[in-house]
Amino acid sequence: MRQAGGLVLGGVVVAAPWLVAAAAPRQQRYVLHVLIFTALFAALALSYDLVVGHVGSLSLAHPAFFGVGAYTAAILATRARWPFLADLLAAVLVAAAVAALVGVPLFRLAEHAFAVGTLGLALVAGIVANNWVEVTRGPLCITGIPKPALGGLVVRTLPANYWLALAALGGVVLLYRGLTTFRLGRAFHAVRDNEPLASAAGIDPLKYRLLAFTIGAALAGGIGALYVHYLSVMCPEEMTVALTVNLLVIVFLGGVGSLRGVLLGAVLFTALPEVLRLAPTWRLVIYGALLLLVVVRAPEGIESLLRRVSGARAGR
Amino acid sequence: MALLEVRGLVKRFLGVTAVDRVDLVVEPGELVSLIGPNGSGKTTLFNCITGYLAADDGRALFRGRDLTRVAPHRAARLGVARTFQQVSVFPRLSVLDNLLVFLQQHQEEHLLARLLRTRRVRRLETEAVARARRMLDLVGLTARADAAAGSLSYGQRKLLAFAGALMPDPDLLLLDEPAAAVNPTMINQMKDHILGLHRQGKTVLLVEHNMDVVMDISQRVVVLDHGQKIAEGSPEAIRRDPRVIEAYFGR
Repeated sequence: MRQAGGLVLGGVVVAAPWLVAAAAPRQQRYVLHVLIFTALFAALALSYDLVVGHVGSLSLAHPAFFGVGAYTAAILATRARWPFLADLLAAVLVAAAVAALVGVPLFRLAEHAFAVGTLGLALVAGIVANNWVEVTRGPLCITGIPKPALGGLVVRTLPANYWLALAALGGVVLLYRGLTTFRLGRAFHAVRDNEPLASAAGIDPLKYRLLAFTIGAALAGGIGALYVHYLSVMCPEEMTVALTVNLLVIVFLGGVGSLRGVLLGAVLFTALPEVLRLAPTWRLVIYGALLLLVVVRAPEGIESLLRRVSGARAGR
Repeated sequence: MALLEVRGLVKRFLGVTAVDRVDLVVEPGELVSLIGPNGSGKTTLFNCITGYLAADDGRALFRGRDLTRVAPHRAARLGVARTFQQVSVFPRLSVLDNLLVFLQQHQEEHLLARLLRTRRVRRLETEAVARARRMLDLVGLTARADAAAGSLSYGQRKLLAFAGALMPDPDLLLLDEPAAAVNPTMINQMKDHILGLHRQGKTVLLVEHNMDVVMDISQRVVVLDHGQKIAEGSPEAIRRDPRVIEAYFGR
């Protein structure tokens, strides 16, 4: 029963471009664009949740890694004419290297200091993007980033871009599941729940925190690369604190530390502001009210509501 | 050779000497208790021996390795297990997972093998689960195996923490007040568990406030007061020692 439901959902997600074309032919481009954003944001939120949800370190530096990856890909693709897959790989590696480098001193800071330290990193990264004009072109943005190409196949159309984003999300989901279950997940969660006790169990907390932080950053860098290849532009505004706020809303209101919760959060909080454009004047008010409602009714995230519902149905 | 040999250990906090040149030897298979009034430095000594605090002077040799120079997780991997005075579990992990955590780092720690779940890792996991189930039987928590550890009662959490420390079959077990703040039935249960370990030949160093427990089960008792070792001997000798009586009751 559940498997059948999963298959239907999977089919709908993969076939979305055709469904959209059939259901709303005039809105097709716009809806597909929103769907691509949703897929990329879902992947980015999952990479963020590795750090926030699974090792319990409130990092605010995620936009920095996203931006480092995005600029790496943008610069290599436009100036050095690197092929897509090569600059994607470079984006992943550079973001991971930066995270590993700053992670060692950052994780010496205790909880709140760590959050402030990572916020500092995000702000510095934004300032560098704005002012290092020779490299990033600053507020003029890097433009003319080519569409992604896999071998000779250029991903040009919106449906093709959607499937590429979906494939990337699929890859992130698989890695997320591999990392957060079984022995690795258990070690991550032990560090999150009780660090001194994790040490007594023979776990090196710093090693596992750095691992989650670095992999999260690597994925964010890769998603940054996909993002700029899709938009063909990269501007400093893409990596501001607003992105952190978005990610925090998706992860914490969706369901921190839960695959289902984060995916749900990404769909809801990426698509919702777009749907609300129907009432432009009240859009932000309604959005804010909905956020408040979730915080009040389901402080542990929407995922906890679902769990309660399925628990009630199971007769518990 | 002694299993644990503490020599001249010193730990100061802002001018207060919490542990003052303490010597302590534990032979393989011994059951030794460390007692003393509140603030006498027992837990601080434990923390220095297990790498949680850096000692200011002195050494704590475990099989010839100085534990005052290693990180806590290293000390654990060398075979030194400990429990904490404040009951300590992983609240959001299941009871079973709480036990598995304590064994897996001793079995293997290859990150890629873990991610890919190689056949070897899966076999080790099966072994670990089997051992964890036996431990749950031992402490009577089998029925709660899948519950979140945070939902257990205080006493149950204490038993779970105890079982966790035993998971890797440690060579030296340091127990910090295992019988504190639990009901009399549980105290007797704990006593039996510790005596059972002793009979199996395990080496145990115990910090405990409950004098009945200490006097009942220890082979040797070491008394700390104001960070210094003031007495050491058999339970009977310690009970009659005037310095110990003075430290506990005043003059």
